[in-house]
Amino acid sequence: MRYMLGVVALMVVVATVNLSYAATEEPGEYLDRRTEIWNLFFRMMVVAFTIGAVVSGTLIWLIWRFRESHPKAKPTKYEGVDW
Amino acid sequence: MVLELHKPRPVWQIMFSTHHTDVGLLYLITSLGFLFLGGALALAIRAELFFPGSQIIADSMTFNRMFTVHGTTLIFLFILPSASAVGNYFVPIMVRYKDMAYPKLNAIAFWMIPPGGALIWLGFADFTWYATPPYSVISAPGPAADMWIFGLKILGVSSILGAINFVVTILKCKHPDMSIGQVPLLAWSFLSSSLIILVALPTFAAALLMLLTDRMGVSGFFNPVMGGDPIAYAHLFWFTFHPEVYVLVIPAIGMMYEIIPRFSRRPIFSHSSGVAAFVILAIVGFSSWAHHMYATGMSFTEKTVFMVGTLAAVPASAMHVFNFLATMWGGRIRFSTPMMWAVGGIALFFSAGAGGVVNSAMPLDFVTHDSYWVVGHFHLFVMGTIAFGTIGYVYYMFPYVTGRMYHEALGKVHFVLAMVGTVMVFFTQHVLGLFGMPRRIYDYPPIPEWVAMNQIATIGAMLIGISMAIWLGNMIYSSGRGREANMEDPFGLGGKYYYPHQQKNPVH
Repeated sequence: MRYMLGVVALMVVVATVNLSYAATEEPGEYLDRRTEIWNLFFRMMVVAFTIGAVVSGTLIWLIWRFRESHPKAKPTKYEGVDW
Repeated sequence: MVLELHKPRPVWQIMFSTHHTDVGLLYLITSLGFLFLGGALALAIRAELFFPGSQIIADSMTFNRMFTVHGTTLIFLFILPSASAVGNYFVPIMVRYKDMAYPKLNAIAFWMIPPGGALIWLGFADFTWYATPPYSVISAPGPAADMWIFGLKILGVSSILGAINFVVTILKCKHPDMSIGQVPLLAWSFLSSSLIILVALPTFAAALLMLLTDRMGVSGFFNPVMGGDPIAYAHLFWFTFHPEVYVLVIPAIGMMYEIIPRFSRRPIFSHSSGVAAFVILAIVGFSSWAHHMYATGMSFTEKTVFMVGTLAAVPASAMHVFNFLATMWGGRIRFSTPMMWAVGGIALFFSAGAGGVVNSAMPLDFVTHDSYWVVGHFHLFVMGTIAFGTIGYVYYMFPYVTGRMYHEALGKVHFVLAMVGTVMVFFTQHVLGLFGMPRRIYDYPPIPEWVAMNQIATIGAMLIGISMAIWLGNMIYSSGRGREANMEDPFGLGGKYYYPHQQKNPVH
């Protein structure tokens, strides 16, 4: 049992050391880094524009739906009380 | 709280008062005065750029002086003092204390602003609001440059004194029954921004002294001829002034936290998430300063760290936006003038933030660096978010200050013109930057796209100018002749207010 634990511990250590080496290895030429970062940038922008469209759309809908003059507008439970 | 309606007082009594509402009023009037002065310079700059070639400004040196004083004025003499005006009025009331913790220190902090402003305006320096070295060290003409340095020094001390006062008032003088978690979000915004000031500003104070001694020739910190490094100044400057962006924007968000629940007739959706977002912004504001300097030869690793540090502000900013939307959801929203400004401010805050994500991504930053994109981006923040929040709040506090109502229709006209003008100027400037137009130039080649976009931006600026003139007229007329406000419910929202009209008028 003690040996088994030793092996498992060794596996963990080896995997960790491997990972550390991989992480410290240079990813490649400068040009590749630029490509990587541009890819990241485009992915970020897709996310940003999607979220932007959803949030802006929600804001516009909120303004239209919850305006005081909307036919379905009704007093909130906080009106007339201290809050 | 109402100052002049029922018991007018002589002006000198207000000027030499140390009561927080009086000091707040002085801050407000001073900051609005500088807003109109700085805005007039902006209109002149935009008029100059309407066509290529020299138009109304005599030479490029005068142009440089004008945009230097424009930027310095609107950041240090409008935005910061206008936030202090709101904080002075409302923070002691919100924490249920009789005044600011140190009333005399408060008055001293205010009275440092006029001499600071006078030094900046009488000197009229030409080295940008960044005081660009090595030009500022080697050849910027004195005494203008030295007056700017002393002016900024005085304004910095004023900010630090004000920040100490806010921190002590909120943390040590709040009512014993009130836990820190119950402190309203506007007061929390002042606590967060004051803590940023106390940590960030001393660095710039040191940089200013180094700049001054460099100019005197006794040191060479930023002078390459003497072995100095202008990039060192960039680090010192941006270590203060990137966090300073949050000092400017956080109180404006705090003002929106007051307006949006009131006019939605619902309490804020999540008070604790608002507090958390303020605290997170105050912390991550210090992890992003070098994103202003990607083009200075930093290593890839450094740039990546600061890119990630900058993006760390996105979740906290999003928390504020979602908090606003969730508060409006299910409300019965009255779109009075303050609410229109606050909602417009949210929309432009989101747009400016999206542009910030682009700036922080280093590949695109190299494309946009020192272009009109940057001008459009930060103006969308300072005008679209900070000024919108502040102007909305000035409308909101108007009846509490004067006891009278402003003209509602004119307020809405003001908003619509300013919103259209802001989009025309600053969205266009983003595109202009992508078309390659550099910032801070007096003249430009007659490239058809550049000319067209500059003209759109100038027309937008004129719309903003007209809207501000309407505002000024509305404020002046309504403060003397506006209809008397119902102090229990000035905006007719049907709610009860736990402040601020309950505060009595001071007799000092």
